[in-house]
Amino acid sequence: MTAPQEVTGSDVQADPEAVTVGMGRDIEGRSLGQIAWRRLRRDKVALGGGIVIVLLILVAIFAPAIVAVFGHDPLEFHYDQVDPDLQVSPGFFGGISPKYLFGVEPVNGRDIFSRVVYGARISLLIAFFATLLAVLVGTVLGVVAGYFGGWVDTLISRIMDIFLAFPILLFALALVGIIPDTAFGLQGDALRIVLIVAIIGLSSWPYIGRIIRGQTLSLREREFVDAARSLGARTPRILFSELLPNLVAPILVYSTLLIPTNILFEAALSFLGVGIRPPTASWGGMLSDATHWFQIAPNFMVFPGLAIFVTVLAFNLFGDGLRDALDPRSR
Amino acid sequence: MSSRRKVAVVALGAVSALVLAACGGGASTGSGGSTDAGGIHNASDATGGVIRMANSGDWDSLDPGDTYYGYSFNFARLYGRSLVMFKSAPGKDGATLVPDLAQTLGVPTDNAKTWTYKLRPGVKFEDGTVVTSKDVKYAVERSLDKTTFPNGPTYFNDFLDLQGYTSPYADPSPDKLGLKAIDTPDAQTIVFHLKQSFSGFDYFAQLPSTMPVPQAKDTGTKYKEHVVSTGPYMFKTNDLGKDFTLVRNPNWDQATDPNRKPLPDGYDVALNVNADDIDNRLQAGDLDVAVEGTGVGPSAQGKILADQTLKANTDDAATTRLWFSVLNSDVKPLDNIHCRNAVEYAMDKTGYQRAYGGKTGGDIATNLLPPVIPGAEQFNTFPSAGDTGDLAKAKDELTQCGQPNGFATSISYRAERPKEKATAEAFQQSLARVGITLTVKPYPLADYTKLYAGKPDFAKANGLGIIVYGWGADWPDGYGFLAQIVDSRVIRAAGNTNLGIKDPAVDAMLDKALVTTDTAAREKIWADIDKKVMSDAYVVPGVWTKSLLYRPPNLTNVFVSDGQSMYDYLAMGTTRK
Amino acid sequence: MAVYIVRRLIAAVILLLIVTAATFVIFFLVPRLAGATPDDLASRYVGKSAGPEQIHEAAVRLGFTDPIVVQYGRFVGGLVFGRDYPTGPTTTYCPAPCVGYSYITQNPVLLDLLNRLPVTLSLAFGASLLWLVGGVATGVLSALRRGSVFDRGAMGVALAGVSLPIFFTGLLSLSVFSYALGITAPGGSYTPFEQNPFLWAYDLLLPWITLAFLYAAGYARLTRAGMLDTMGEDFIRTARAKGLPERTVVVKHGLRSALTPILTIFGLDLGLLLGGAILTESTYSLPGIGKYAVDAIVNNDLPKVLGVVLLGSIFIIVANLVVDLLYAVIDPRVRLA
Repeated sequence: MTAPQEVTGSDVQADPEAVTVGMGRDIEGRSLGQIAWRRLRRDKVALGGGIVIVLLILVAIFAPAIVAVFGHDPLEFHYDQVDPDLQVSPGFFGGISPKYLFGVEPVNGRDIFSRVVYGARISLLIAFFATLLAVLVGTVLGVVAGYFGGWVDTLISRIMDIFLAFPILLFALALVGIIPDTAFGLQGDALRIVLIVAIIGLSSWPYIGRIIRGQTLSLREREFVDAARSLGARTPRILFSELLPNLVAPILVYSTLLIPTNILFEAALSFLGVGIRPPTASWGGMLSDATHWFQIAPNFMVFPGLAIFVTVLAFNLFGDGLRDALDPRSR
Repeated sequence: MSSRRKVAVVALGAVSALVLAACGGGASTGSGGSTDAGGIHNASDATGGVIRMANSGDWDSLDPGDTYYGYSFNFARLYGRSLVMFKSAPGKDGATLVPDLAQTLGVPTDNAKTWTYKLRPGVKFEDGTVVTSKDVKYAVERSLDKTTFPNGPTYFNDFLDLQGYTSPYADPSPDKLGLKAIDTPDAQTIVFHLKQSFSGFDYFAQLPSTMPVPQAKDTGTKYKEHVVSTGPYMFKTNDLGKDFTLVRNPNWDQATDPNRKPLPDGYDVALNVNADDIDNRLQAGDLDVAVEGTGVGPSAQGKILADQTLKANTDDAATTRLWFSVLNSDVKPLDNIHCRNAVEYAMDKTGYQRAYGGKTGGDIATNLLPPVIPGAEQFNTFPSAGDTGDLAKAKDELTQCGQPNGFATSISYRAERPKEKATAEAFQQSLARVGITLTVKPYPLADYTKLYAGKPDFAKANGLGIIVYGWGADWPDGYGFLAQIVDSRVIRAAGNTNLGIKDPAVDAMLDKALVTTDTAAREKIWADIDKKVMSDAYVVPGVWTKSLLYRPPNLTNVFVSDGQSMYDYLAMGTTRK
Repeated sequence: MAVYIVRRLIAAVILLLIVTAATFVIFFLVPRLAGATPDDLASRYVGKSAGPEQIHEAAVRLGFTDPIVVQYGRFVGGLVFGRDYPTGPTTTYCPAPCVGYSYITQNPVLLDLLNRLPVTLSLAFGASLLWLVGGVATGVLSALRRGSVFDRGAMGVALAGVSLPIFFTGLLSLSVFSYALGITAPGGSYTPFEQNPFLWAYDLLLPWITLAFLYAAGYARLTRAGMLDTMGEDFIRTARAKGLPERTVVVKHGLRSALTPILTIFGLDLGLLLGGAILTESTYSLPGIGKYAVDAIVNNDLPKVLGVVLLGSIFIIVANLVVDLLYAVIDPRVRLA
């Protein structure tokens, strides 16, 4: 499957750049967070990514206001903007003008700018929550597998193998396709969002799970865990007070890197027609519609595509920087 | 036309969208573009060459007893001969029935309850065996078996006096010809006995299911891998799902066949080719025919309309297909006719037309029967200026319905059809103007009539007040168009094509038409049914479809026939040797 | 070694059983829970005007009335021993491994899959070659010139590569290179290799490049990191001290050990890709396994879906196994136990 980029564990601690960057003068006495923040601040590229992310979140939150000023209602038709025979805007590059910043959709003349802005809401919302779900499940199962070992570890590891051997996109397609209209007391967009979050989240947890399991395995043997154990600490205490704080860094890094993967996943589902339902705007859905039109209305394809690109790139840049900054080997 | 027939290609394409609005239409002509579609383009009788065709999807089946696509009926005449066929001629002429395997059209007796055909002598299968009336009877018998051959039409199942007969495969008689409803008194004669009078039986006799099948060669579901030809061409190769080729059939004799003048030496047909790619290759001259005959995609349409040279090589063929939406009276408040009237008045029909490709895609429909169907009358029960809707009247109707501020309901459409999606969105926009709010609900095309919109319980439970749909006649005739969509007695628990038109008066008129042998009187009844359904406000008619067909300059003898509503595949030739 | 392989194979078979069972659950159990009866399911596969009796007959014929466990058992039985299928007048024997016949077209699924496999293989072969060569070369050069303009540029492009969805780059490249400039084949083009190798490559060039662009990025980053790691190790210093030419040091010593993790990822990626490049094939309308899978799902054609899932999982499992074995060969520290 090509869509969701795999987040692989193999390049985890492999960036030696990180080792050297943080070797400042007064490194002693600083918490991991402080060190990381100092490094991150110096990483202009990562910082740029972070700023873009913040901007995107603001765009998503204030979409109605932005659209009110710069665009039109994302669902409103503008037949007057579309040639009734050719079905596309006769204007420049799909009708780009001060009134329609990204031009208009073929057939119905909806404002592409407004739809791209509103699309950010769906994309970010789904990606955030799917990642949250994946991280929760992945962390819990990863820690359990790594800490307890034995048959528990074998079982959980095999489950992860199975998930990784599944043609996930295929299953997502099949599952989303048969989901009813109303379920769990939800309907419409809300239900779709919950389902897509569940499907993406539950299919991406093994990536986090594997990494956390590995980290837990090595932490388990460390002195401070032994010490806690010999002091009579019980298992829950060891897990929460000793292990978890040490896992925060990798969890943070991999969640940041999983978000863009999940954005692509959501876009892929929408592209294949099983994502959020029309007329609600989503980037993948717009690209899917554009497949019929891109030869004569390239703007319909370019803007939602660029939106996906910029968002995913920003998260990747920021996640990369964060990984460098938090790299455990540079402590 | 059945949902099957419409499913066409759709399967293909990425789930979403790489799919054109598929489908074989029934029939008809029309003129369009800058060309005269009524006549023959590049008339020629030069033989030779191979015609290259491509299908963006795949046949439902090449087996003549198991197919229901319009283009498939058109194409099957190359490798099979049914009792009767649509004449291979341009325009209106193409909608006339002529005898093919039979010597004359059917001879009715017993008040059109018995129909007799005499076969032409000397017709042979591709292996040289002589065709007898038993082979025709066997072909019809096997087509009755809908569990083995689910795709084909069911007219014979519905009209023959079956007496419990289900299938030759479950037939205890040794020759497997136990069906009492068909007699074969001698090798040349075949007699059909119907349950009820039916004046239009010749339309059934033109179905591919009357193309003879030799019982010894029948391999059931595998027969489509090698159909035994009676036509001028036979299968040379057939790679299921990929491609097949036809070559001349040495045992076809021109002397037995006044209807066909086979020009090319063969046909190469590629399956499952991307629709946009087909359009591009047609224009580049790498391909001769887009076999589905449903017209080019939106990108190609835009390019063609903007280019006079390309446009000169097109026909905008009118079809017997109507895109419409049903107002479901099971769903409140649409049980109230005033609320349905309100929807009729509020809808901006130009939006419907835009969804289907603008003027090139078809004309705004104001009633059911497409104008190309003989006897169709055009009228407008819910007129508005510029067809953009009459909001004042709509509001007035809403008030009479007791919903002065509008109401909320849902609209369903087939998820894989971008044009139906555009239609649903157009409804949403239009109706919002009078306060009617719609929730848009897409359902998988493959299950649309079986599990969702065509299942009354489901449609009611899920509040599908408006159901986006479309229908093409199985043949250009009022019965062929109306029977499956307005008769309330055909409504079943699931799998319906009548999605909610329930009026006993309509049913009564249908019955009357079946026994009316006078053509003009019968056609008048079809038009009356049309008017009644419209005044009931059960249907929002959308677009009478036209297909923008492109013909590469190397094709000869190209014409649109009213019998096929696309290019006639029997007559074509090519200059590319 | 032999014991290890046998154990892995047994595990693989169990995994396949679980994966196919899950497919069954999705297609039968989930709709059942949602309230569909076996007849409802069967009604999808009969003609439009089939009556309730005919639908029920079809349900019986398709085996939908049996418990799911029995249906699943029949499927596995077909895989192992082959099974008989009714064709109307007779039955036909579908030899093992029998993946079944399509509910809708009645074509044998195995034949369909074998028909389409060459397309997916061609796609995966060309793309993986491109991304492996391109990615590794870029990674090595970046590592050797760490911090240079080339390094930063290459890493920037790499990040851009992983951030682009293929259905966007696909459409974009088609519209620019195929339709505007006319230098590459239009969407949906595919010529079998044995028919015309030149056309084969020409038709697939664009999909190869877009797919490779997507993957090469990851490989470049991985190679770069691996190279930087190993080039700092003692044995490299030793090699340099021995006076070996820099090229030998880089290629023979540095790259070799950096390649191990690359191989792992490569194996897994290839396995996934062969299981169906769904998005690539959908975007370019290539008639491969991925597009077949999507069609099958849209039409609820379970035997087809099962076939694809089985094939995809086999590829992934085999790739995993090969990678692990290679690991053991390359790195003796990995014990096969």
